[in-house]
This record gives sequence, structure tokens and C-alpha cells, in this order.
Amino acid sequence: MRLIVNGASHDVTPPAHETLLATLRERLELTGTKLVCGRGECGACTVLLDGVSVYSCLTLTAACDDRPITTIEGLAHDGTLHAVQAAFVEHDALQCGFCTPGQILAAIALLRDNAAPTEDDVRRGMSGNLCRCGTYPKIVRAVLAAAEAATSNG
Amino acid sequence: MAKRFVTTKVEIEGREETKVVELPSRNPAPWDNDADLHVVGQRVPRMDAIEKVTGDARYTADIRLAGMLHVALLRAPVARGRVTMLDLSHALELPGVRGVLALDDTPDIKLDGVRLFDRAVHYANQPVAAICADSLQIAERALHAVAITIEPDPHVVTAERALAPDAPKVKSSGNSPRTSPRIIGRGDVDAGLRDADVTITREYRTPTALHTALEPHGAVAEWSGGQLTVWESTQGIFNTRRDLAKAFALPLSSVRVIKNYMGGGFGAKNGASHATYIAAAFAKKLGRPVRCILDREGEQTDAGNRSATIQRVTIGAKRDGTLTAIKVDATISLGIGGWLAGPGRIYHELYRCANVRSSETFVYMNTGAMASFRAPGSVEGAFGLECAMDALARELDIDPLELRRRNYADRDQDKGRVYSAKHLDECYRLGAERFGWDDARRARRDVSPRMRRGVGMASLTWGAGGGPPAYATVRINRDGTIEVLTGAQDLGTGARTVFAQIAAEVLGAKIADVRTILGDTERLPFASNSWGSITTASVGPAVRVAAEEARDSLFEAAAGMLETEPDDLEARDGEIHAKSSDACMLIREVCERLGDVMIIGQGSRGPNPDKTAISAFGAQFAEVEVDTETGRVRVLRVVSAHDSGRIINPTLAESQLEGGIIQGLGYALFEERVLDERLGVPLNPTMHDYKIPTIADVPVIDAFFVESSDTVANHTGAKGLAEPPIIGTAPAIANAVANALGVDMPEIPLTPWRILSLATDRS
Repeated sequence: MRLIVNGASHDVTPPAHETLLATLRERLELTGTKLVCGRGECGACTVLLDGVSVYSCLTLTAACDDRPITTIEGLAHDGTLHAVQAAFVEHDALQCGFCTPGQILAAIALLRDNAAPTEDDVRRGMSGNLCRCGTYPKIVRAVLAAAEAATSNG
Repeated sequence: MAKRFVTTKVEIEGREETKVVELPSRNPAPWDNDADLHVVGQRVPRMDAIEKVTGDARYTADIRLAGMLHVALLRAPVARGRVTMLDLSHALELPGVRGVLALDDTPDIKLDGVRLFDRAVHYANQPVAAICADSLQIAERALHAVAITIEPDPHVVTAERALAPDAPKVKSSGNSPRTSPRIIGRGDVDAGLRDADVTITREYRTPTALHTALEPHGAVAEWSGGQLTVWESTQGIFNTRRDLAKAFALPLSSVRVIKNYMGGGFGAKNGASHATYIAAAFAKKLGRPVRCILDREGEQTDAGNRSATIQRVTIGAKRDGTLTAIKVDATISLGIGGWLAGPGRIYHELYRCANVRSSETFVYMNTGAMASFRAPGSVEGAFGLECAMDALARELDIDPLELRRRNYADRDQDKGRVYSAKHLDECYRLGAERFGWDDARRARRDVSPRMRRGVGMASLTWGAGGGPPAYATVRINRDGTIEVLTGAQDLGTGARTVFAQIAAEVLGAKIADVRTILGDTERLPFASNSWGSITTASVGPAVRVAAEEARDSLFEAAAGMLETEPDDLEARDGEIHAKSSDACMLIREVCERLGDVMIIGQGSRGPNPDKTAISAFGAQFAEVEVDTETGRVRVLRVVSAHDSGRIINPTLAESQLEGGIIQGLGYALFEERVLDERLGVPLNPTMHDYKIPTIADVPVIDAFFVESSDTVANHTGAKGLAEPPIIGTAPAIANAVANALGVDMPEIPLTPWRILSLATDRS
């Protein structure tokens, strides 16, 4: 089957039960996507599938044939960070960094659906992504700042 | 000649140790409040943020070596018993399985007093064997091919049961690590209670809490020519090296431990773990690199926890609030092992009181061992003490903040030592002002017939002085870029950035030209574990000394080029200027002219001041809303004022405060390991059933520092700050709920069920 990850095609033949998370990490060696709970409880493995955020630990690779997948490795271009990545850096919305890839992809998906979210929208929209270091206040700020930057630039 | 090696006292997580220290090559004048600093104190962006937002940061599970194998652990499903039959042969025959390990072919390694793969089962989920295979899936599948018989024995998983005379013996030595309670006291508590006008007695209970670091314990191990290299998610590369060298009978120089990034530690990753030993043992046996990462259930059940406690507290006071006696009798659930982090200590420290006595009974039981968890002991103790102080305030009809102010401790009373600095009074003042404490206390409790609001506060203290030994090297390259090298760890705290700021400050360099290199025992000088909020205050001064040595060499070279004296030079923002003329050069230009001359500065951490207590302080305020129909508690806002000396980087420091407060909120409202008492097994070893806070639970947080350089503590003026914010959060929230409902909160977490039953008891 053909997997399109960050714009690049990969021919893979995973067993039917293999998760997208395992394919990304173990076959394609894209280790930016993290395994934390492995059962859809924490959001650390969030990636975009057809532009929509999914838990890659609950997504079967077999269901992703020929559909565009975006992982954390596919966001920056030519050394320029995606606006959400840049906002996370600017607002210190990360500590240990383990949940950060999932948080950033969840935020991008949120902003795609709702370009001008309120603080409550962000808190609701991001509540599927756990962070144990407690960077949440900074994540709220970063996501709102990224939204504002996109609106004022757009 | 003055002695070069002396001893000094260093406090780590409440334990004071005497350490040998080599006096540093120099002892710079402390950076006081008037020091003219340009990089220290600035909101420099976190240095490893780019790697973390791009997925480039490689954590232990991301390490991939050619030919690497994977491990699955077989864990005992009972809390106590004996393995009477274990047959791994069928598993070993499966395609892709490369090896198995059990008791007989593993070195004699003990963790928390339990031998690795022991055939005697001491707690549920204890590892009894391991399988190594080409992939994790194959290893996990092969677990099903293992034949095992475990004869269960009677177990005990609660402290009350473990202390009963007829309780099963958890260890052959008994159910406590001590033959009697640990009793620490000053004055005469009975006399103090006789002097009291008012006495209150309460019992408080705190839960077993789980660290729940997102990255579990794990290691990748490789042997090559008798050398063992281990990539490990650890707070202590040198402790891990020591543990591995001992287990495999190797000289320290044959073990290399590497940790570049880690996905949280919170105290549970302070040395080699099961995963480390198993990865190393398999790698040795099979001659291939091996990765062993705990799964989530293993992490939640067998990787440490915060001890549950029961605290019976009695406080006596005069009518005006003056404390006459504080007494606490505590029972602490260790599980199968751990160390004695009791709640007693904070009862001795927080308030002025001549008569204080703590009695701590530590209990072994058939559950996973405790491990340090962000301010171990003091988080539990602060809940009991600070809730009891509020109960006393209600009894005396004195404002809770006022009661605390009236009992302000101006020295470390147990040891009769002065504080290096203490600005808790300012924390009270500014915290109360920013919270609007007086108005909030007067506001109506009943927002509606159903919703009630309340406010509460708590104080905190934590030994956060750090100390030696700690070493750092500063190297300047021929292009003027600077490397700070030290064997410390950055757990996500920001240590990497803070060290670079100190070096840039001293050298007058641009922060962008400084890089900090951490986490490799083979390449870096010693620094201790990153625990106990000690890293900045321990390693920061060593970095400063190293940078000063390097700066002296740099200035000497520049003085020749600028035809002046080194004393005439100063540097800022990457440029060296003469004070007496217009002469100036970029650091880069000086280095380019030096060619491959490498300027190297060495630094170390000097001794702590004698007879001085070095502590951080804080005051935390919370407002809550309680739904009396559902029992749900919502924290609306938290104001948290902290004294941790000088703050090197306010942004990163505030992130630490927010993180500690949010973990404290989880401890207050949600977090509790639940065991089935009859079966002795954990019931909520997942992130769905063990609830940590989500972004939707987070209140408005105003966390700030009452900043003042502690020039007695060390010459950077900085003290620790990562643990303090978790200490007072739970009691501040519980006191706010008590204020809302008009009833004591004797137990956390304050789940809806608990709130409803407390409210029902009242009516």
C-alpha cells in the first residue's frame, strides 16, 4: 500500500492490525510522533489524516492508503517553523517536550476548523492532549497567539 | 596553606548529607540585587525548544541502533506468592524470539529490596521474566507462550492492615523498615498543649499518587568490547552509571550513560531501573543492542509513587493565635520499598512554635515501591498541617492568613540555624494583594442555591539550597562560540538555558553563541542528579566559576591585541571594550586570531555556608466553586507567590510554577491509585482511569516571584523553585472547599463522591 507522509510516498506492507503510530515510528523511523498510552487516552500520538487530527495509536495503517498524513516532522519548511510551532517556542508552551508534537498537531487541526477561537474553544479543543509538566496555560496562550498572527497576516 | 578539601552540608529532598567538597579555584563576589546583569534575569527562549517543536529531539525510545532487539516483561498478576513453575522454552522457540531472562540467568540485582525476577512475588506486576525479540510485537506475543504457576500467599495492601498484629509479613524483617516510629521533637509538646487556650485534633489522609511521566522508564543498551553504553531516560546519569557498574561488576570507566532528552521524571528516575538492568543484561547475553521501555501499565504500577499517608494532627494555641504545640502522628505507606520521606518535617519548619513533635511510622506492604515525587514528604505534610491551621483559624475566629503571620518563623528552629534569606512575609503580602484576599474572604459563599464558592490559602517551605559537588567546563571555539559542559540533566525544567545564560553573562557573550551540553558520563564532568530542586543552585555557581576562568584567559588574549591591560576590559553582547579608550573587538575576532588555541575554564561548586538553613518559601491562594448537587469542584483561580532567591530566567521559572500548581491541583482533586484490597492489584493503571489534569481543568494562574538575590546561599543568588509550587496547592484548594461548604476536608482527592458524602454527613 502507499502511504503519503508529509508529502512523500512510501510503499509499505504492514500487517492488517498494525497501527499508524507503529508504522510511522518503527517502519518509517519518524520518531517525532510519541507513544505514551497506546490506547487513545492522552493524545501524544496525534497526527493529521486528511487534515483532521487523529490518534495514530488508534488508527490502522491499512485504513490510510493514499491519504495525506502530516506528522510533526512535516511542519517546518526550509528551516522556517510553522506558525503554531513558532508560537509554542515564543510562549514557552513546552517543558519536557514529550507531548509537544501531539499538542502542536492538535492545535493546527483546531485552528483549521476555527480560525479565531476563544480561550474556551482552545481549552475544549485541546483537552484530548495531556501534558504532565503542566504547560497548559502557555499552550492556551500559544494557540491564541498563533490564531491572532494568522488572522492579522491573512 | 588553606585546606583544599573540606566538608559541607547539602540538603537533598529533605535529607541532609555531609559531602566532601574541593574548594573552587575562585569564589566570586555574589550577584546581589544591585548587580548589573544583562543576560541573567532575561526571558531568554528555552534553548532546546526548536528540537522539541520539530520532533528532532530524540528521547530514549527514539534511539534506533542497527540490529536492535526489543523486550517485553512478564509480570506477576498477584500481590504475593511463589513462582513454583516457570517454563520459557516454548516462548524461546517462536520465530523472532532471541532470548529470555529469568532469575537464574540474571545477575543478583536488587531494587527496593526485591531481587530482579525474584520467584517470590512481593507485589502485583512485579517482573518475573523477560523476553527479547526482533520486534516488540513478537516479544509481547511470546509472553502468551510462557507457562507459569504462581502459588498465591496472603497479601496486605493497606497500612492499617499491615500494622495489625496478625498481618502477613511483607518482608522477613517485618512490615516496617524501623523497629519503632521515627520521632523528632523539640520542646515539650505536652506542656505546650497544657498551656493552650484552644486545642484542635484532626485526622487527614492523602492518597498514593503516580508520577505519570509521559515518557515511561526505559533504556537502550549496547555492549562493545567490554564497554557498556546505555541511553536512559534518567534524572541522574552518574547514579545510573554507578548502579550499572555495580550490577555488572564493571569499572565506572567501562560504563557510559547518555541522556539528552527525557519526557518527564518528577523524581521517579533517579538511578538504574528494571528497564535499565534488563536491557543491559539482554544486550550482554545476546551480543546485540537492546531496547527495553516500560509499557504504560508497567509505568503506572511498578515505577514509583507518592506514599499515601494518614496524619493525626493536634495543634494547641493561645486565644490570640500564638502556637503552643504542634503534634503529628503519621503513618506512611511505602509499598515494597523506597526511602523514608515523611510528612513530619514541614510541621517543624513552617511556623514558630517551641514545642513540636512528629512521629512517623513507615509501613511496608505488597504494592509497588514509593519513589521521590516532587517535594516528597512535604506535599503530604503540608496538606495535613495547612488544613489543620485553617481548622484552628476557624476555631479561633482568626483570618487564616493572619494566623500564619502571627506565627512567622524567623529561623530554622529544630537546628537553631538562621535562614540565608527569607521573604515569606512578602509572599503573604503580595499574594494576598494580587488575590484580593480580604475582599474574597468577605464575599458571599452561595453564588446560587446550588453553587458555592470559597477561598483558601497555604504556606510552603522547601530546602532548596543545592550544593557540591558539581563541576562545569566552559570552552571557547575559534569562531567565538561557547560550549558549557556539565553532567547535569534537563528534565524540561530549563537547566540547559539557565546555564547558558550564566556563562553568557560572565563572558559578555551573545546568548545565541552559547550552547549547553548535558547528559553524557563519558564526556562531561560530574554533576549530581537533577532532583530536590537543586540543579540551578548547585551547578549554576560552577558554571559561573568556569566562565570566569575562561573570561580571564579571553581578556588576557584580547588585552594584548588591544594594547591595554586585562583589568581595563569588559564585554557585553559579544564585544570586548576597553574602559579607558574606544578600543574594542568582537569575542569572535579575538578567537579567530588565536586560531586553534582553545580557551577552557573549569569551575566547581563551593561549600554551603555553615550553620545556615537555605530554603525556598511561598504562599498560595485558591478560589473554588463547588457544585453541591454533583459534588464537582472547579478551581477558578490560583495566586502563587514565591521566594526562591534570584530568578535566572523568569519565563522558564514561571513555567515551573504553573506546572507544579497544576500537578498539585490534580493531587487535590483527581489523582489516586486505587487497589482492589481483596486481590491486591491496581485497578486504575491507565491514563483514562488515573486522572491527571487536562487543559480544561486549569484555572487562571497568577504565579510570580518575590525576587531577591540570596547572596548567602551561593554567589549566583539563586535557589530551587521546581518543587515548591506543588507543596501548598492541595491544602489551599482543600481549604477553599472547606470555606465554601463550611466543613473540614479530611481527605484528598476531593472527588465528587467524597464531596457529596462529606456534605451529606454534615446535613
